Amino acid sequence: MPLLEVQDVTVRFGGIVALDGLSFEIEEGHICGLIGPNGAGKTTMFNVVSRIYQPTRGSVRFRDEELLTVPAHGIAKLGIARTFQNLALFPSMTLLENVMVGAHSLGRIGFGRAISRIGAASDNRRTRDHAGDLLHQLGLGALAFKAADGLPFGTLKRLEIARALAAQPKFLLLDEPAAGLPHGEVDGLAETIRGIRDQFDLTVLLVEHHMSMVMGISDRVVVMEFGRKIADGTPAEIQNDERVIEAYLGAPA
Amino acid sequence: MKPLFTIKAGGPTSWAVRVVCAAALVYVLLWIPTSGSNSLIDTATTALTLMGAALSLNLLLGFTGQISLGHSAFFGIGAYTTAVCVTRWGWSPLKTLPIAFAVAFVVGALVSLPALRIKGVYLALVTLTLGVVFPQFIKWPKIEWLTGGSRGLTDTGFKFDKNNRTFELFGWNPWGNLRGENVKPFYFWIAVVIVLIIYLICRGLVKSRVGRSLVAIRDNSTAAAVMGVNLALTKGLVFGLSAAMCALPGSLTAMKGTVTPDTALLTVIGSITFLIVMVVGGAGTLWGPIIGAIVYQFITEKTGDWVEPDKIPSLLRPFFSWSKTPPAAGIFGLSLVVLMFVAPLGLAGFWKQVVGRVVAVVPKPAGSTTLEPTAPSDGIPTWQPEEPLAEQ
Ligand SMILES: Nc1ncnc2c1ncn2[C@@H]1O[C@H](COP(=O)(O)OP(=O)(O)O)[C@@H](O)[C@H]1O
Ligand SMILES: [Mg+2]
Repeated sequence: MPLLEVQDVTVRFGGIVALDGLSFEIEEGHICGLIGPNGAGKTTMFNVVSRIYQPTRGSVRFRDEELLTVPAHGIAKLGIARTFQNLALFPSMTLLENVMVGAHSLGRIGFGRAISRIGAASDNRRTRDHAGDLLHQLGLGALAFKAADGLPFGTLKRLEIARALAAQPKFLLLDEPAAGLPHGEVDGLAETIRGIRDQFDLTVLLVEHHMSMVMGISDRVVVMEFGRKIADGTPAEIQNDERVIEAYLGAPA
Repeated sequence: MKPLFTIKAGGPTSWAVRVVCAAALVYVLLWIPTSGSNSLIDTATTALTLMGAALSLNLLLGFTGQISLGHSAFFGIGAYTTAVCVTRWGWSPLKTLPIAFAVAFVVGALVSLPALRIKGVYLALVTLTLGVVFPQFIKWPKIEWLTGGSRGLTDTGFKFDKNNRTFELFGWNPWGNLRGENVKPFYFWIAVVIVLIIYLICRGLVKSRVGRSLVAIRDNSTAAAVMGVNLALTKGLVFGLSAAMCALPGSLTAMKGTVTPDTALLTVIGSITFLIVMVVGGAGTLWGPIIGAIVYQFITEKTGDWVEPDKIPSLLRPFFSWSKTPPAAGIFGLSLVVLMFVAPLGLAGFWKQVVGRVVAVVPKPAGSTTLEPTAPSDGIPTWQPEEPLAEQ
């Protein structure tokens, strides 16, 4: 049974059809690359899984449960976490606090216990330590008490990964994590992604334009164009697929 | 420039500073009703009233980012709940506080229903309507039997008479004389308790998982939802709670004896006042509204007679002598403009900046690894402790 099953999902924005009957599957434990030219609908796909966009048609099943009836705030609890292509951090918070919010779905302190302070201090301590460890692991430990606002783009993309991991997800969606990284750091990031997949038993859906990275770490690759899947296979198969080369990778030099 | 001192958060120095500040606060609170003049006690009580309202608004606007220009209505709901319960049903005023809280909570939560869908200017307009309509509603002839219409209600407060007990401790009596000869300290203490309750509610929320989710909603509500924050429920609860807390100082104004629908704080002027107090003090900081209310009331008192040119200090006379009304609001408006550039987080933020130059607070390490927190350095914006007053 696949971890995620996307079936016939269609999303429209006015006249634009962003997803046009998209279907694909992701196996548990895989790193699945999702590639396609700009505007193909990759980010829209993420937003469907996060329940930010409501498709007009189709179904998205996660561990055999229909996601399209779950409210947006219920997604994290199911074990799905994501990062954002254009950053969606909390700029007034420190890096540590950003990651602490990432653990929101694990916490139990509601209004009553927060006001009465019953268990609030120990919850804070636990969350804080957990967040600190994650920052450290992603190489951001020294910046833990800096405000997120104003740090370099690449650093903040890494922070988004730390924040997503704080929810202890089973399924992680990464939207162009290497964007804004200097070339030398892309290999390090690929290493990080593989490392966290193994350590936390993750399944990863990776959107990335950096081809060598996608082909290097993906178990399977899904190729999209105009809101549709045009190919699906191992990196080797994809690199030799006529249609993909034509549509996206360009003719080999 | 490196700060002169470093203090470890939660270390002995930081605790010593806390204890000293708390002691100073208790001393001031005891000094005002026992040794202060009657007018000082009045001023302090008014400042505390504004403080309570501004703290409530701050939870909603400062921390959660939901604007409300209707808080005067919640303040008024508190005042009228107390007034009606006391005059119509003969309740004891203090017992009306939980009722005022509950009524305002329900109204606030209902108002939040449209607020869940709308944002920014539209939310400002919807809540502004509430603030405008409230005094009109009170004057509505059909409910005049209950609210007293535009004449308002009298005898809405405590009954002081010769038979009341007076509490004394070795001849020392910080709460005044409840036989009706000296009751100002009594109101002062009610105000203190109300502000303390509101402050503790806000503090508890802010320093918890809930507080982090509120700031997350303010900073990026989409991301907050993705992290698992239930936007509708959280915003609704915060709106209700903020309204409920704002009703408490409103209740207090009724306890002083009379309520009319045209009392300034029950009209939109009240909403604007709470907003200014909060922003000047420091939106989104726990101590901002507290500092703001003290400064606001201080300036209001000092400039109260500045309508006569010879009362204005000679240095300032050219700037203020044209005004026919006390210039406090104008002074606050101007300082708001200046603060926006100097310290976007208001006086509390400014205080943090100044203190940060002298004292660096090193946060406790986070995590099980040997993660050493870095001390704040120049250039890059750095983490600042939540409570400058306590840490200072
Ligand atoms: N919120 C939106 N409103 C209108 N159009 C949108 C919106 N989000 C995405 N689109 C459109 O949907 C298409 C797919 O966009 P997107 O999913 O961002 O592509 P990708 O991430 O693959 O580059 C584009 O044509 C884009 O303009
Ligand atoms: Mg995209």
